[in-house]
Amino acid sequence: MAKKKLSDSVVKELAEEVKEWGSMKQTGVSLKQMMNFGGSSKNLLISAQFVHKELPIRIARRVIELENLPYGLSTQNAVLQVRDWYLDSFRDLRSYPEIKDKNDELKFTQMVKMIKVRHNNVVPMMALGVKQLKKERPQFDYKDLKEVHQFLDRFYLSRIGIRMLIDKFSLNAGQHVALHDPNPLPNCVGYIHTKMSPLEVARDASEDARSMCLREYGSAPAVNIYGDPNLTFPYVPSHLHMMVFELVKNSARAVQERFMDSHDEAPPIRIIVAGGLEDISDEGGGIPRSGLPKIFTYLYSTAENPLDEDFTSTGAATACTMAGYGYGIPISRLYARYFGGDLQILSMEGYGTDAFLHLLRLGDSQEPLP
Amino acid sequence: MAAKKLYESFSKELIEEVHRWGSMKQTGVSLKYMMEFGSKPTPRNLLISSQFLHKELPMRIARRVIDLQTLPYGLSLKPAVLKVRDWYLDSFRDLRSFPDIKDENDELEFTKMINLVKVRHNNVVPMMALGVQQLKKDLHPKIDYKDLDEIHQFLDRFYMSRIGIRMLIGQHVALHDPNPPPDCVGYIHTKMSPLEVARNATEDARSICLREYGSAPKVNIYGDPNFTFPYVPTHLHLMVFELVKNSLRAVEERFVDSDKVAPPVRIIVADGLEDVTIKISDEGGGIPRSGLPKIFTYLYSTARNPLDEHSDLDTIDLATVSTLAGYGYGLPISRLYARYFGGDLQIISMEGYGTDAYLHLSRLGDSQEPLP
Repeated sequence: MAKKKLSDSVVKELAEEVKEWGSMKQTGVSLKQMMNFGGSSKNLLISAQFVHKELPIRIARRVIELENLPYGLSTQNAVLQVRDWYLDSFRDLRSYPEIKDKNDELKFTQMVKMIKVRHNNVVPMMALGVKQLKKERPQFDYKDLKEVHQFLDRFYLSRIGIRMLIDKFSLNAGQHVALHDPNPLPNCVGYIHTKMSPLEVARDASEDARSMCLREYGSAPAVNIYGDPNLTFPYVPSHLHMMVFELVKNSARAVQERFMDSHDEAPPIRIIVAGGLEDISDEGGGIPRSGLPKIFTYLYSTAENPLDEDFTSTGAATACTMAGYGYGIPISRLYARYFGGDLQILSMEGYGTDAFLHLLRLGDSQEPLP
Repeated sequence: MAAKKLYESFSKELIEEVHRWGSMKQTGVSLKYMMEFGSKPTPRNLLISSQFLHKELPMRIARRVIDLQTLPYGLSLKPAVLKVRDWYLDSFRDLRSFPDIKDENDELEFTKMINLVKVRHNNVVPMMALGVQQLKKDLHPKIDYKDLDEIHQFLDRFYMSRIGIRMLIGQHVALHDPNPPPDCVGYIHTKMSPLEVARNATEDARSICLREYGSAPKVNIYGDPNFTFPYVPTHLHLMVFELVKNSLRAVEERFVDSDKVAPPVRIIVADGLEDVTIKISDEGGGIPRSGLPKIFTYLYSTARNPLDEHSDLDTIDLATVSTLAGYGYGLPISRLYARYFGGDLQIISMEGYGTDAYLHLSRLGDSQEPLP
């Protein structure tokens, strides 16, 4: 059973270490820098040592925040579980000896990969924690919980950064060490595709969203995609896929629900890809102006949370379909902002909604470090 | 020549009065209230209305005098700004020196007087624009529009207040019309068709484009032709005109040397429960994200101000000036008009493709005038 406060359980020294590392300065990395992360074995050693120092700093900050949430969020069981995951990871990193050679580096890579797996279900778990809080305090409205929103924004943004670092680092380490590794896709630098075609990613993501819609409603609106098929730029395809999937899923659901009982044919969803921008437009009836702030909150969700009180850590399979159930829009915006872009939603009540996804083509902007 | 400070030419009593009235609490009115009240323009109601204005207008005007005197960066001392301040002072004096309104005759005289006040202030926008231009010349060239946030905020408040004052005066004067058009309560059309207003404004914008470029892109308008709601048609006309004009110009300039046919501008009129939203979309090439904040500023303008350094501020040709409405101040001022009745204007752009403008008009009519 997760203990309530740090000092109750674990050694006092750990608490002090967390505090110490939580106040150290974080170091941001840009997309450009990440592309140059790997390469020579010297570079790999340096990056391993960097990650060895940087991760505990970021993780410690999150532990401290998780302990100090307002409105009693910190004491919810699900939040305590998340805190314990972060604490375990902090301990693993801190107890790992100095990285001096290839062997150290190899073992470190394995350890860091396991940390990523340990944290796979953080989002649904935090969501459960918020749900637990709402049950305890039913009088709270999403508007009142601005501090909680701001915390969640910072928290998830930081998580994106931590996972990016781990992915980047472990993939390069993997490429370097395994001589028998199949060749990575041409133009791929780890998770970053140097010549990503936004049109292609949009197509794939739309198809995935349409399949989901088909499964749920028995039909799915058409999606027309316009843009230069030859346009490419460096970006993380999995991030873009996730964002477009999320937005098209929302549009498809809105259109389906609007035209379900109608004889009229459902109007297609339009996606326009221009420069570093994707415009996803639907005619799904729109969102009233008063309802727009809600869609970016974590506390407001129209979809049911598949997790309930009985969630255990073996619920991993259920959890991976969760990505996108009510957290899609605020988290998509974080992904967009992570590399200096943005997500804006504009709506015309009674008609439909337009989502504008701005992506920075150049990778100069530093990671945001909340 | 306009004197620099109040106390140099005006009596001490006037200065004190301005300060006193400038700190009194303003009273806002909603569109709904204006409609209900104005639907019965009986002599008694007109009397009540004039007595309200007799107290309310000096408060709003005095605040603006004080604002104009305390602008940052020396804007208050620019000749054009001093001129505007004098207009406001004269109007304040006219209102304060008007005796109590006791009967129908008083009321008619009062109405005539406030109408003259409104006329006096017709050219405030270009005149303030000139003042800002005079300021820009003096400022260190390194200072960018971004640094002049205080001035933007002032101008937003100032122009918003002006919209309110003119709405109140105009509405009151219009209620005296013995033959009002059907379904109209002063400036408010209780059954305004946004589609129709959009059509008219679009035609006006296309004519201007035709005159300037020799051609004009098509505009396709979609929406329910039978939908109506209460609003002020002149306000909507101004906003749509401004937005369509910008779109047409962007498209023309993008396709001027091209063989391709210029893609049409699309207008969608959507009626929701809370809002009526009008979206104006063009494929005119868009605005880069970094350039977007600029378009809502008053200090940044791509259009030429017909007034310049050499204009004699006292003998400005009204005809020249009336074409100014919309030259470079269109976007920020359109947004003020939208916000005046609880709506908003959002511009979103896709660099390399085009721009979408979302004009939200509140249907409910119960939002109070903003009172800066």
